[in-house]
Amino acid sequence: MNALNLGGLRRLFSQPRTVIGAGILIVLLLMGLFAPLLTRYDPNSLEFDSFLPLSVKHPLGTTAIGQDIFAQLLYGARLTLLVGAVAGLIATVLSVALGLTAAYLGGWVDEAINALINVFLVLPGLPLVIIASAFLRGGGIWPVILVISFTGWAWGARVLRSQALALRERDFVQAAVASGESSGRVIFMEILPNMSGLIAANFFGAALYAVLSEAGLSFIGVGDVSLVTWGTMLYWAQAKGALLQGAWWWIATPGLGIALLGTSFALLNFAIDELGNPRLGRAPAKPPRQGRVPASTPAPSDALLSVQHLEVGYVTRAGTVRAVRNVSLEVNPGEFVGLAGESGCGKSTLAFAATRLLDPPGAVLGGTVALNGRDLLALSPEELRQVRWKEFSLVFQASMNVLNPVLKVREQVYDAMQAHGIHDKKVLEARAEELFRLVGIRESALDAYPHQLSGGMKQRVVIAIALALEPRLIVMDEPTTALDVVVQRQILQEISEVRRRLGIAVVFITHDLSLLVEMSDRIAIMYAGEVVEQAPAHELYRQPAHPYTQQLMQAFPPMTGPRERRSGIPGRPPALSEQLTGCPFFARCAKRMPGICDVKPLETFTVSEAHTVACFLYDPAVPLATRTLALNAGTPPPAPAHPATEVNLESALPYSQTN
Amino acid sequence: MSLPSPIPRPTDSRPTGQPATETTLEVVKLRKVFGGRGRREVVAVNDVSFSIRRGEVLGLVGESGSGKSTIARLIAHLYQPTAGEIRLNGAVVPNRLGSGALRQFRRHVQMIFQDPYASLNPLHPVGYTLSRPLKIHRLVRGDLQTQIAGLLERVGLSPAATYAAKRPFELSGGQRQRVGIARALAAQPELILADEPTSALDVSIRLDVMNLLLDLKDQEGLSMLFITHDLAGARYMSDRVAVLYAGTLVELGPAEEVIDRPQHPYTQLLKSAAPRPDAGPVSGEVPARGEVPDLGALPPGCPFEPRCPFAMPECRAGLPRLYDVGNGHQARCLLHDPEVMQRHSAP
Repeated sequence: MNALNLGGLRRLFSQPRTVIGAGILIVLLLMGLFAPLLTRYDPNSLEFDSFLPLSVKHPLGTTAIGQDIFAQLLYGARLTLLVGAVAGLIATVLSVALGLTAAYLGGWVDEAINALINVFLVLPGLPLVIIASAFLRGGGIWPVILVISFTGWAWGARVLRSQALALRERDFVQAAVASGESSGRVIFMEILPNMSGLIAANFFGAALYAVLSEAGLSFIGVGDVSLVTWGTMLYWAQAKGALLQGAWWWIATPGLGIALLGTSFALLNFAIDELGNPRLGRAPAKPPRQGRVPASTPAPSDALLSVQHLEVGYVTRAGTVRAVRNVSLEVNPGEFVGLAGESGCGKSTLAFAATRLLDPPGAVLGGTVALNGRDLLALSPEELRQVRWKEFSLVFQASMNVLNPVLKVREQVYDAMQAHGIHDKKVLEARAEELFRLVGIRESALDAYPHQLSGGMKQRVVIAIALALEPRLIVMDEPTTALDVVVQRQILQEISEVRRRLGIAVVFITHDLSLLVEMSDRIAIMYAGEVVEQAPAHELYRQPAHPYTQQLMQAFPPMTGPRERRSGIPGRPPALSEQLTGCPFFARCAKRMPGICDVKPLETFTVSEAHTVACFLYDPAVPLATRTLALNAGTPPPAPAHPATEVNLESALPYSQTN
Repeated sequence: MSLPSPIPRPTDSRPTGQPATETTLEVVKLRKVFGGRGRREVVAVNDVSFSIRRGEVLGLVGESGSGKSTIARLIAHLYQPTAGEIRLNGAVVPNRLGSGALRQFRRHVQMIFQDPYASLNPLHPVGYTLSRPLKIHRLVRGDLQTQIAGLLERVGLSPAATYAAKRPFELSGGQRQRVGIARALAAQPELILADEPTSALDVSIRLDVMNLLLDLKDQEGLSMLFITHDLAGARYMSDRVAVLYAGTLVELGPAEEVIDRPQHPYTQLLKSAAPRPDAGPVSGEVPARGEVPDLGALPPGCPFEPRCPFAMPECRAGLPRLYDVGNGHQARCLLHDPEVMQRHSAP
């Protein structure tokens, strides 16, 4: 977006297309600039014989009226580049001025300018230029430039207008307005700099249009054919039958010049555009696929899902970000396991990697994932397709957006079942209705299109699809975060009920620990890519062992009890691109033991049965006195739970319901 | 350490030229209708009235689409109200202000935005962002850099010189939000509109940002509108709480009253939907039915009536008024109308 700053420029020139585009442009510029040094002849001088062949004296021969073609090519570059640059500039200035005015002022000004833009976009460009230039014959190069500029601004104006409209609604622009900035400063200091990349790309686009228009105009003889441009060279070559005379280079060389200039502008346009739109960029080369430790067959266990020593990273040019570090986690059949952590702690990466949904540059770097004793990471795409939905399914925060907007909900619910061999219409219908009842949607919603349903309904549909084949495991990553509190609550209850009834195991990922405590059988806390504590939910709530968990429990304002100040956790998690030694929470920990926690490689210790913690306060190898000292130095562990104060709707109201 | 009770500021020592009054902000029957001109009309804010006393935090609670952010933007003059009145220090603020008067108004009322990743211009260093309100409102006294450093230290960003030179992408979410708070403070406002200032932040740093706001409020005697969807957060921050549903104010009162003893069925629903880790693994049922209301097609009476477990025929007759339920606590619900209730309890 900000192509003007140095980092942006450096990134821009690290792309081969920028280097090639700029290289061509520089060569052509030098050709025009040093034309008098490269040739002794005047491009308009008629002093030679016509149609001289290629020779040392005339490297490209002469024209039908005896001009030196090489001289014309060099001098022609001057005017052609001038047309491109000036017309590109004028068109861009017009686009910016009109696009920004429309977007910023809005209302009828916007409507008027938008109508003008549309008129210019609908009118076919070249005929318009031809008509306009018909009045300008023989007037030199400037009328041509003006005509091209005034017909070439509309496309850019439309793009810039929509960009400015989006920027105007951005919070930082609103914040500038709210702090009292004048309109001028809002436009020139807040909006415009953030459009610099787009404006630069627009300039090259407009310059490309100008060069091609000039060539086209000149070629058909409109404009001033007495000037020497690559376009007029083509015109004269065509008019004087260059090909019939065998002088093909008279056409080929200016044509090549135009093509090269066009290529250069287009490459620069794309390169700058891509800089501002990373999504247009190509994905980096695939990282080495899973440099895994030679597949040690997953240890047999009763667990449904068994993740062992999983290492996941994002391989980028700047280095590897180790997002999941040596994580081991087991989920038993029918168990509800909560996975909690702050943004960037690796919880979603863990879910994506374990379910084989991780896209490059993400890659599994080590460890195993087994579902029902089967190595998930070793499955072929076809085997994976067989297992997905049937053995395990997934629901994500944005899942509701994956519903196809042009298909009825019914077809999308059938789809997953049909893919796994259920084709009987009656069975499909009965099952779909049953699923909808399970997740609390009326059956008539089956015949709705997704846009007719609310966000909560759509998310329920996705959950119904995830349940369709009665998988043994559902992985849910913040499935209700985008929804309203009440709707979220209702869906959570439905999930809770359904999974109990069907005996489905759930891995539920969220940043909201208080939600998990209520829902889960067991909870794992992640911090900086590591699972730092695992315990049964009630035990984790009553006796959190890890200082991070303890502080996290205290970080929620309470709903009940006395209103008193609490404090959050100072500091921030370490960057996952760093090499971490010792405990990742060391820098923020109130109970740290310097010389131990920041030195020893992190280990996991058992606090009680089924309760493990990655904290040296529980390391029997550390002297008890040291640990006791550290424990007492820090903040005291959180007070036991507040007595539950249930809200009873009946009693909370002054009058009983008499409906 | 308990929360300080709302201390009424005795008199305003700042040279604002305004007479000192008890009430900083008064919003009277504020209304905002979006759409129209062929498009469907949506009543985003429906005749909302409340006031904020000097040094007081009013928590404005509601779910997305309830109109709470619209109210903040109406007060900040980012949107034009369709009807209603906004009074600052007792004086009516005209809906249309000239650029000079608008700047003057904005000096008194500043806003903190929800998403600290979106509310700072990615191109400007922190120092530039903080210098602007000082320059716009001609508040530069002595060395500008010293003043900026002072602001940064007040929001807990030190060493200030390092932070002033940084661009937003070099800061964490919490640090960015502190810059956003410093920007609001720079104009030395009397009223801060905080639009969900912590909901985009990680759990572990939310409390620290809330504490910072409370500290600043105490030190500067600021009045604050604290917008949130989180009842517990509102309880932690606010002296009084107003609850919005579908653009309508349904309950208003002291924070502990409203949240510990909610009197409107919607507030009760919100409360029962909040996670209760202490309630054990088996969660209570949420009684309400239905979904988020469609603002374009609200029922004629109480907007909550279609979802309300206590709905009565009377609820559809018209929007109920706010009933006083004691202790400065009001609820917009016919369950508090003795006449209606008497009729229903009669055999």
